[in-house]
Amino acid sequence: MDRETRRILHHDELVMGTVVTFDLYDENEPSEDVLSLLQEAIGVLHDADDVFSTYKEESPLSRLRRGEIALEQCPKDVSDVLELCKVARTIADGWFDPWSIPGGVDPTGYVKGWAAQRSLDVLCQGAIHGAIVNAAGDTASFGGPHPGERFRIGIVDPAATQRLACVIESPGAVATSGMYERGDHLIDPRTRRPTSRASSATVTGTDLGLADALATALAVGGVQALSIFSDLDDYEALVIDFEGNFHATTGFPTVSIRSNASK
Amino acid sequence: MKRAQIVIAGTVVGLAGLLSFNSTAVNLSLSSLSPATVPPRSTTTTAPHSSGSTPPPTTTRTVPTTTTTAAPAAARSATGGSSNYSYGILSVKVSVSGSKITNISIASIDDGGNPRSQYIDQYSLPLLEQQALNAQSANIQGVSGASYTTAGFEQSLQSALSKLGL
Repeated sequence: MDRETRRILHHDELVMGTVVTFDLYDENEPSEDVLSLLQEAIGVLHDADDVFSTYKEESPLSRLRRGEIALEQCPKDVSDVLELCKVARTIADGWFDPWSIPGGVDPTGYVKGWAAQRSLDVLCQGAIHGAIVNAAGDTASFGGPHPGERFRIGIVDPAATQRLACVIESPGAVATSGMYERGDHLIDPRTRRPTSRASSATVTGTDLGLADALATALAVGGVQALSIFSDLDDYEALVIDFEGNFHATTGFPTVSIRSNASK
Repeated sequence: MKRAQIVIAGTVVGLAGLLSFNSTAVNLSLSSLSPATVPPRSTTTTAPHSSGSTPPPTTTRTVPTTTTTAAPAAARSATGGSSNYSYGILSVKVSVSGSKITNISIASIDDGGNPRSQYIDQYSLPLLEQQALNAQSANIQGVSGASYTTAGFEQSLQSALSKLGL
């Protein structure tokens, strides 16, 4: 008998100073194996928080930033992430640069997406049709709500955050950055001052760590930074400027756009 | 269809951001406050009709670490425990019809007049309310947007939902 695929589990986890949600989709109730993978996936987030939190004074990253320990004394994840950040910095033409943050190297703009992606990778081992890990607005997913369908993600309208600007199909990673929520957290690497040239910047792709970094880059650089994507396979982007205009790469996976969202 | 309104107010001084849901849940203590004592700070009540009020239930639920969605179809609402958020203390009220969330609002908020927190009240909290609603109504499975530290909101929301058995 065919049973319909549906959301079989929802979980909220308070971690990394925010809420990360897990949604699992299948036709059957979650097995013991899947529940155990979920616990492991949650553990990945807490481990990342313990290592990378800039709010925990004794985290290896905090100690590294204060110069108390050397990179070699940090868990291997720290040097791995910093290597990935260097790659992201190059791809982003310098618009993303953890080394330009006042107070020492800060890979926070990469870590949340990276950790959510690693968490999802654990769930991928489970015999389920699909899963989404949503790290407070940045989503990593595999599969879909039904066989042959991709997950649909709503992008918040930065001009009126109670509504959606558009709906897209997720290719696996969707990250959004912008000034409308966290105020001064965007630093322009070229001036080292708080700067934003986009009301909202969304990047889709296959890896949420890189998508997260590129969304940060795009929020700082604005429309001019869309050139990052001209020779970058598998990653697409949308910038919503301060006038409400949409600027998207040609492959941006939009399903629908609010008719009046551009004004 | 049987309709009933259940209003519960909970009190918890949470350490949002430091504790996970299941560890704060054990601190939940329920008390029966009238909703009139916590005037809704935020707007629209689209909750379906209710017929009178029933006394608050005397059972205490702990917040489940995982929940699957299945619940009887009835219009109900609950107010979550007060939680610390970055700039004050808030609690969230949730209305449901069956297992579908029909409205989410801030039941109470004390931000101590911090101007930064007023910015957050104005923008972040409505966003969070709407995100939870949109995810159910727009045939989407998630919402992507710039993040803020949402722990207090989510914590109170979760405790309200758990009171409703969702």
